[in-house]
Amino acid sequence: MFKELDPILHSQLRLAAISLLISVKEAEFTFIKEKTGATAGNLSVQLGKLKEAGYIDISKQFKDNYPLTLCRITKKGIDAFEQYVAALQSYMQPSDKNS
Amino acid sequence: MQDNNLSHEESLRLINTMISKAKDAYRDTGVGAMLWGAVIAICSLTRFAEIQFDFKLPFDINLLTLIALIPQIFITIREKKNRKAKSYDERFLDYIWLGFGISIFLLIHVVNLTFESWTPVSREYAALAGHPSSFKFSEFVMPLFLILYGMPTFITGAACKVKPMLLGGLFCWLCSIITVYTEYKLDLLLTALSALMAWFIPGLFLEREYRLAKKKETSPNV
Repeated sequence: MFKELDPILHSQLRLAAISLLISVKEAEFTFIKEKTGATAGNLSVQLGKLKEAGYIDISKQFKDNYPLTLCRITKKGIDAFEQYVAALQSYMQPSDKNS
Repeated sequence: MQDNNLSHEESLRLINTMISKAKDAYRDTGVGAMLWGAVIAICSLTRFAEIQFDFKLPFDINLLTLIALIPQIFITIREKKNRKAKSYDERFLDYIWLGFGISIFLLIHVVNLTFESWTPVSREYAALAGHPSSFKFSEFVMPLFLILYGMPTFITGAACKVKPMLLGGLFCWLCSIITVYTEYKLDLLLTALSALMAWFIPGLFLEREYRLAKKKETSPNV
């Protein structure tokens, strides 16, 4: 029985962002933008969706008089990511057995 | 990056790529490690030269460690400022090295106090016994420092998966045992070697890794 893939995470940019955030305690918006190569507008929209789902927290601060957006994965986000990876593995396993 | 839907293989590949890219975020530049490796080696070798060639500098060379705190503060501030992501173990390692710094200064204080107390006792013993005591406290000073050098180095090497640093920590501990049996002059040479093995060489390794990671960063994104 295949587990259903979380539609919030099963999107290239959102998955890339959450994969970055799972590896760090917190990251600046510019860091995620650099690493994913996404445009600021698109990334902003996708991070907004992750925030709406409760998978990440977004806070705004100032650093050297410049606005700074910090993103951090939540406990709900970690659980969702783990379930997503488990679901992916369940899809992959049958094909491994056949090969 | 386009916001496309992915196949399962693509999803796993993307996750792996992003996790390895995230690692580059908190890569150490190795500059701090090189600085301290060089400073401790210079201090130890200078002390060795003073004893070996029978001369005395007009100042205590160990004061160099205090002066080195100034560039270290600038290095730390600059590295933190440039870092756009914080790792989970960053704070933990910061506290380990801060604790190490405090421990070193406390140890220096305790060693100096012990020397002050031991010197009159030693003189009294020599006067009573007619020969100097065979116990030389100075022989046991470097092992204490080397034990302390080994601990944060070993932990950082293990936590950050920097094998040269982990081996450097082990080398410090090995030298701490050897220096118990060797004379003070040789202790200083082993301390200099430990500093090079524990910090300077791992620092060079980290710096090279950092440069390579930076170069990779300029390659096209997924």
